[in-house]
Amino acid sequence: MTPVQKPDLRVTIGSLELRNPILVASGIIGFGKEYERLVDLEKIGGIVTKTVTLRPRAGNPPPRVVETSAGMLNSIGIENPGLAGYLELKVPILRELPCARIVSVEGENVEEFQELVRGVDASGVADAIEVNISCPNVGAHGMRYSTDAGMAREVMSAIRPLTRLPLIAKLTPNVTRIAEIAEACESCGADAISVVNTFVGMAVDSRNRKPILGTVLGGLSGPAIKPLALAKAWEVAQAVDIPLVGMGGIAKPADAIEFLLVGCTAVEIGTAMFADPGLPEACVSGLSDYVRSLGERSVDAVLGAMELPAGRGPIRAGRARREAARSVRRSGEKK
Amino acid sequence: MNQVDCTVVENRELTKGNFLLTLRVPRLFAKPHPGQFVHLRLSTDGEPLLRRPYSLEGYFEHRGVRAIRLYYSVVGRGSRILSGQPKGQVLDLIGPLGVGFTPAPRRTSLLVAGGRGVAPLLFLSRRLAEKKRPYVFLFGAKSKNELYGVREIKKGRLHLATDDGSVGYEGSVLDLLEREWNEHGHTPQTAEIFTCGPHGLLHAIADFARERGIRCEASLEGPMACAVGACRGCPIPLRPECDQGRYPAMCVEGPVYDATVVDWERLP
Repeated sequence: MTPVQKPDLRVTIGSLELRNPILVASGIIGFGKEYERLVDLEKIGGIVTKTVTLRPRAGNPPPRVVETSAGMLNSIGIENPGLAGYLELKVPILRELPCARIVSVEGENVEEFQELVRGVDASGVADAIEVNISCPNVGAHGMRYSTDAGMAREVMSAIRPLTRLPLIAKLTPNVTRIAEIAEACESCGADAISVVNTFVGMAVDSRNRKPILGTVLGGLSGPAIKPLALAKAWEVAQAVDIPLVGMGGIAKPADAIEFLLVGCTAVEIGTAMFADPGLPEACVSGLSDYVRSLGERSVDAVLGAMELPAGRGPIRAGRARREAARSVRRSGEKK
Repeated sequence: MNQVDCTVVENRELTKGNFLLTLRVPRLFAKPHPGQFVHLRLSTDGEPLLRRPYSLEGYFEHRGVRAIRLYYSVVGRGSRILSGQPKGQVLDLIGPLGVGFTPAPRRTSLLVAGGRGVAPLLFLSRRLAEKKRPYVFLFGAKSKNELYGVREIKKGRLHLATDDGSVGYEGSVLDLLEREWNEHGHTPQTAEIFTCGPHGLLHAIADFARERGIRCEASLEGPMACAVGACRGCPIPLRPECDQGRYPAMCVEGPVYDATVVDWERLP
């Protein structure tokens, strides 16, 4: 028997090379230590940390999670020790992790984003920074920077000069045209785009006529959102040339592969991991098997490899919009 | 804590809607403490999506075979699925998780149970009996049918209360606690309270303990996503004067927590 060669699953996001495209999403695995007995981090591409804010945050009042049909609403509110706590308590943990460490940050304003990016860059353990401009659970400022292209541009252009680490802008799906926000981030030097954060949702208890979450509204995640998230990822893939990190409801290896097929370079596993901590590893082996089943040697053959029947509308509509947006931008610049 | 496969040995409906589940666990499953819990996966197709936390009713070792027991009621999607698991079925669980009860040496333990909250306290009573520590077991339930486990309690004194008066005192177990405290000369230096049950009852017991300066630990219940301290989805609200600007996580800093510092008004 000839030995079966393991497919090459390496991908790159800016200057960050990942051993494979399977990451764990922010807010799922803390800073890596919480899951050390349940996940073999040597097998996966990397983790995205819990979001770090400038000051410590206690998070929102309970209840913070409620299960819905094939999904989960959360209103955690970025409970984290703040930048100083991150530097003191979390950096030593991250330093020991045997996988890529993408540190997620969220600021209440541009200056806070700048301070966070400087701090995380100087901490020396981050392999990339995910810029969380899309949290629905921290008040008005949370999603503000990714619901408006101008504001996204403002924050991305302010932090770009402060670090050479890859900057990954994480976008909210709660917008009409996500592609415009993605283009704004790309034009300001983002190295990649994460699509998507949670969808705003709510749950009401009809027995006591009260909202279930302590904050009334929360973010929906889990398998329920996968088709929605996949559509957003594909829409963004039509609009930008930088790599995409896809996420939203991935619950099995085939889900991860779908995100890669529509044009993502990597994926993040989220909520489904609470039930199945082995899911990221299963996605790595599932992807490996898939590449081999195509008779290919590299995952490159999967990235963006979705085949659209010739003349199908959507992709042309996407391209048309992209062209239109670009021409508007160009004419705007001339003025 | 580990993720292990366990096997259903028995899953018996003791009284209407109340089940006793015995699961054989592998050696990888560490010996648990009373008050700890396991996080059970009840479906692999994403519906329901999350695992379910269940407090341990007991842990048994016999001729190298290790087993845990859960006493649960059918209240929702997860417990309904659990109630249908037959003998021989393999279940995926993570555990043991959280921190359990911490009885202090040389004190009498007052175990105050409400309804199915009896589960972790039966576990605790067995441990106390093994260590020959004195305890008093106070158990309140809706009716006679829900007084699970009372025949087992032999080493300690047992007092029962039912809402309908079908057995024991007619009324709340809180009254039993008050009577026990007043009539047996307990002091905060000689006795402490361990409790589990509906949060309304725990609130009342916590107030009773705080007013008298009695050490009191309660086992809390709530929805959990990860159950390992990562997602921060299960905060314990603390009273304003005890608030340190953060919420302890019920899954790793609980589920057993100092009842006198919990802000029961804000705990769902």
